[in-house]
Amino acid sequence: MWRRRTFETTAVLARWTLGALFVYMGLKKAMHPEEFLKLTRQYEMVHSPFLLNSIAAGLPWFEAFCGMLLLLGIAVRGTALTLVAVLVPFTWLVWRRALALQALRAIPFCAVKFDCGCGAGEVFICRKLAENILLILVSCWLLSGVSRAFCARHALFSGKSP
Amino acid sequence: MPSSKSDIRAIVTEAAIVVIAGLGIGLAANELSPRGLALSRNYFPAGTNQAPVAPRQVQAAPVAADTNESPAAAELSERLRGKGLRELKRSQAEALLRDLRSRDGRIVFVDARNPDDYQDGHIPGAYELDPYHPEKELGNVLPVCLAAEKVVVYCTGGDCEDSDTAAILLRDGGVPGGKLFVYGGGITEWQAAHLPVETGVRNSGINSK
Repeated sequence: MWRRRTFETTAVLARWTLGALFVYMGLKKAMHPEEFLKLTRQYEMVHSPFLLNSIAAGLPWFEAFCGMLLLLGIAVRGTALTLVAVLVPFTWLVWRRALALQALRAIPFCAVKFDCGCGAGEVFICRKLAENILLILVSCWLLSGVSRAFCARHALFSGKSP
Repeated sequence: MPSSKSDIRAIVTEAAIVVIAGLGIGLAANELSPRGLALSRNYFPAGTNQAPVAPRQVQAAPVAADTNESPAAAELSERLRGKGLRELKRSQAEALLRDLRSRDGRIVFVDARNPDDYQDGHIPGAYELDPYHPEKELGNVLPVCLAAEKVVVYCTGGDCEDSDTAAILLRDGGVPGGKLFVYGGGITEWQAAHLPVETGVRNSGINSK
């Protein structure tokens, strides 16, 4: 009983922490979309101004929206899956960018420091990758169906609301 | 973990709804936000949407060093040349500010940073022109630049390309390229050299060290 309660509390705290982090990071970027636009441009994902602008304009609010869903406990597993689908390719992009910078600056990989557009300013790459892996693991954990307490509607389709 | 096929289908459907709703809300919020981006606008004209090969941290150049020999300086010169812009060194920018013509509008400085940074400190008398929101100031700044003999545009310096973008906006507005200059060292180098900086609005008379 005690272990189960601890597990549930941890899961709720993890969901709230992840949600709050995404709300904070998303709104921080949304307040300065031109700065985020410049940072998005460094990844050379797209060369069309319209697509680049759309990513830079929509992604910060999208992140904040996902964070809000987690905080409120709405569509938790769908949101967690979305976050995994966003975090995995983004982590790969950051890693690829860091490799390019490492080669150009001729410095050790973990000494590479740059603003990846994550909302936290300039960070050392190894720390950033570790953070992202942790975020992915927490998202996967939420995807497994934990953290049902304090949810407005954990699943949209089950019809069961806690 | 999701146990059955229907469970997986429900989660994927849920995720699809989250994505569609999130993107819709994101783009709507951008439209409603006063700081929102104009989706159809090219914010990086005369270059491409490709980023610089190796972004460097913005660093204040040593005060005594006003040459063009470091790799960063060479990269900057090449970048400006590629956009058809002319570069100005710190000593030249300083001389232009001290020139009497800067007092009667024949030499004009344009600050291409965001309004908050401008308020925190700009080159005395510089006009504000945020290239990401040109609609705010371009109408005021363009006539001044058209009438001037020399126009010096700057931003933070280093990798900052906002000065390039602002200069291109002015050039597209009719300011001849021959009188447009970009001070590549930017405000970072300027402040590192302890040159005068004005805070608040233009010609506030409030100077900071």
